[in-house]
Amino acid sequence: MTPTESGPRAALVVLAAGEGRRVGHDTNKVLLPLAGRRVFTWSIRWAHSLPDIGEVVLVIRESDRDAVDRALRRELPGVEVTVVVGGSTRHESEWAALCALRPRIEAGGTDVVVIHDGARPLAGAAVFSDVIEAARSYGGALPVRDQPALTGLADGEEATGERTVAVQTPQAFRAAPLLEAYSRAEVDGFVGTDTASCVERYTDVAVRCVPGDAGNVKITFPEDLFLAERLLAKADWDLSAPDPRPDAGRHQRRRRSR
Amino acid sequence: MSVESADLSCEHCETTTEHELHYAGRLLESVRCTVCGHRVVLSHQALLPAYLHDLEHRVASKPQRMLRRAAANPVGFTLTLPFAVVRQGPKFARELWSLVRR
Repeated sequence: MTPTESGPRAALVVLAAGEGRRVGHDTNKVLLPLAGRRVFTWSIRWAHSLPDIGEVVLVIRESDRDAVDRALRRELPGVEVTVVVGGSTRHESEWAALCALRPRIEAGGTDVVVIHDGARPLAGAAVFSDVIEAARSYGGALPVRDQPALTGLADGEEATGERTVAVQTPQAFRAAPLLEAYSRAEVDGFVGTDTASCVERYTDVAVRCVPGDAGNVKITFPEDLFLAERLLAKADWDLSAPDPRPDAGRHQRRRRSR
Repeated sequence: MSVESADLSCEHCETTTEHELHYAGRLLESVRCTVCGHRVVLSHQALLPAYLHDLEHRVASKPQRMLRRAAANPVGFTLTLPFAVVRQGPKFARELWSLVRR
């Protein structure tokens, strides 16, 4: 199903509340500058370049509100972002975002919810588009990267043929079953480790893997920031969806040929 | 040179610790763990070309960014423009100095 101009669109949820640790001054890494922007605004920029993305919900912690508001005004002018305060776990933050999206989901205005980690600034428009399309077709979608080196074998043990994969974000799910799963989890007091675990526990929605991107790094170690900076420069600071205007492609090709 | 701090994983401490991040312009120059002192530094050979590439992008995208800000807040933009222009010279001088003296 392809959304029409007036039809349902995907909603983006960006998790930027951190992991609830309290170390030192506890500065949130998603608020760090990265090539002239804050880490968390890059991926919103790429996702928002897709016409399919409607509502954007940003989950923050209360202490970051002023810095987040400043970054949104400066770096994403014209992008309407609903800011909600998250909880101490990823599950609680996702629930806060789904509560904000509930009216549109129940009204049929949002058919897919895309959940993304704000510490992954290099998730480009292509991966957002892939997971949305797969979620519409199958129910849920995760970007993964094969990690065969992580499959340890004891001496003499034969390979099982199973895949070991690293799971990335953005992850997308049909909105109604996702909301239902989290509503039931709330009643049961269940706290999932990730979005897919909750969806799989409470629904029979199929979750498909789509190819992830090696450049979709998560900012964890200091080296990740250097790498992200270099990858952005290599991509000419542009991971957005191609501009559909006829003359826009020519301009992009010229710029990238430098 | 601007300095920021944030919690990142330190491979020496094997836990999340506070790090101090030093920027040259808008490029990251070095990161230091405030607990164990472990530093990750971008080499001079890598930093200079990266800075020049980044500077080219900053200059090329400046008119578009100025237009966007002017459209969003014409009065505020006009009032602050003279001060912003005056600040540019010393700002670039500081950035270049921080690169040269490494």
